[in-house]
Amino acid sequence: MAQEQLAFFIDLDTCVGCKACQIACKDKNDLDLDQLYKRVVEYVGGDWKKDGDAWVSNVYAYHVPVQCMHCEDAPCVDACPTGASTKRDEDGVVVIDQDACIGCRYCEWACPYGARAYDADEGKMGKCDFCEDYLANGEDPACVAACPLRAIDYGPLEELEAAHGDLKAVAPLPDADISHPSVVFKPHPDARRAADDPGAIANLEEL
Amino acid sequence: MDLHTWALILFTLLGQMAVGAFLVLGVVHTVALRHHESALVDRLTDRSLLAIGPVLVLAFIASLFHLGSPTIAFRAVTNVETSWLAREIVTGVAFLVLGGAFALLQWRKIGSFAARRTLAVVAAIVGVAFVLSMAAIYMLPTQPAWNTAATPIAFLATALLLGTLAVGVAFIASYAYLRRHDDERVEALTGLLQRSLRWLGVGAVALVAVQLVTVPLHVAALSAAGGAAADSAAQMLQGGGLVLGLRLVLAVAGAAIVGALVLRSFREPLPVRTMSAVVPAAFGVVLISELLGRYLFYAANVPIVI
Repeated sequence: MAQEQLAFFIDLDTCVGCKACQIACKDKNDLDLDQLYKRVVEYVGGDWKKDGDAWVSNVYAYHVPVQCMHCEDAPCVDACPTGASTKRDEDGVVVIDQDACIGCRYCEWACPYGARAYDADEGKMGKCDFCEDYLANGEDPACVAACPLRAIDYGPLEELEAAHGDLKAVAPLPDADISHPSVVFKPHPDARRAADDPGAIANLEEL
Repeated sequence: MDLHTWALILFTLLGQMAVGAFLVLGVVHTVALRHHESALVDRLTDRSLLAIGPVLVLAFIASLFHLGSPTIAFRAVTNVETSWLAREIVTGVAFLVLGGAFALLQWRKIGSFAARRTLAVVAAIVGVAFVLSMAAIYMLPTQPAWNTAATPIAFLATALLLGTLAVGVAFIASYAYLRRHDDERVEALTGLLQRSLRWLGVGAVALVAVQLVTVPLHVAALSAAGGAAADSAAQMLQGGGLVLGLRLVLAVAGAAIVGALVLRSFREPLPVRTMSAVVPAAFGVVLISELLGRYLFYAANVPIVI
């Protein structure tokens, strides 16, 4: 494990799904139209339910910003045949050496978060690198800086867990046991209902 | 489906066919030596052996079209420690080198029989490791349609089925070549060819039977599992199940004409003309079936990922 694993904290109770983080990320990384390193998932569930003579709405919706989770057991790093994907010793950030990447896209199959975005023009894989250049200059990652509601924070995983708990999966994200993502969520109140009354992703075409 | 995926379809099919053909040829050669002298058996099998290498090379060339940066494809062997894809390429290249070395020694009859046989067994084991590495690549927790025993079973069945029929076709081609060149042993060769094709035919029918059981079971299990697995099953049943249906019907058609040939072989010696028509036809039909099957395999790529 990394000396001090860097992680994201995402406050889903505060996030309103404005996608400023997604756009800031796309701008910072100068991504093509079909490439996203950060995606905001809209999760919608519930329905009108009959209660006696009345119809009551229990519709719910919340947003989940998703990017590379810099997992502790990163399946992409294990999958990569060239060793282009590595987990940095100092902060556990998963980075891709573009010179070593052969564009086989095996990491994309292995990633539980769909966090990798292929650059077809270059024939190389890309993804969130935690804005390593910004961090080196003492600046915040683009998504963190862009969030108008301050719903995204980052820091050492242990500190974030101490402050916010250790929730690492909310619907529709996969089981955290697959890869142990370096992330902490503050759940939206309606995330609880997703367990009994599963919803669906409402903006699939955007992702 | 894009070029990158068709590259994988060709790579996996041809790679598996090469391994299967090597294994089947080894079995046929071993069994035939019990009944015939080796000079005769080698006449039929050695040319077939030489055909395997080019098929495997073709597979690797196809694989390059899968890559975004094919000029540095050689880097794919770096991370053998954790990557099944790296293991696949390493075992595949090792199979090519070992199998190629064996083919050369066997063709030129260099070294003792025991030494060559040992080399062939090692190459065969590496070849099986190659096919199993291929299967392990797809067995990811994120891919419910692939992450089952159905993947290695399907890959091994494909390897042996295409290998069996390819060896049959290669035998017929070798025989035709020897006959054109007025080989003095052509009479004895005819008997060997007839018996070989009979048992290759039995093998092909059995392998199609395995597919007829495992393929529908796999799709049914995925459908029942719900979620991404069920979406995968829906992809495999695309066009109202037409592609899957055609894939199975073609496999059965191949098995049926080969099966008819096998049945006839127990009543009378098979005419060369009949064998020369039926076996390549069955190979062609089954090859199309396998292409469709592998197409559906990749179409079933529905990850649990958002």
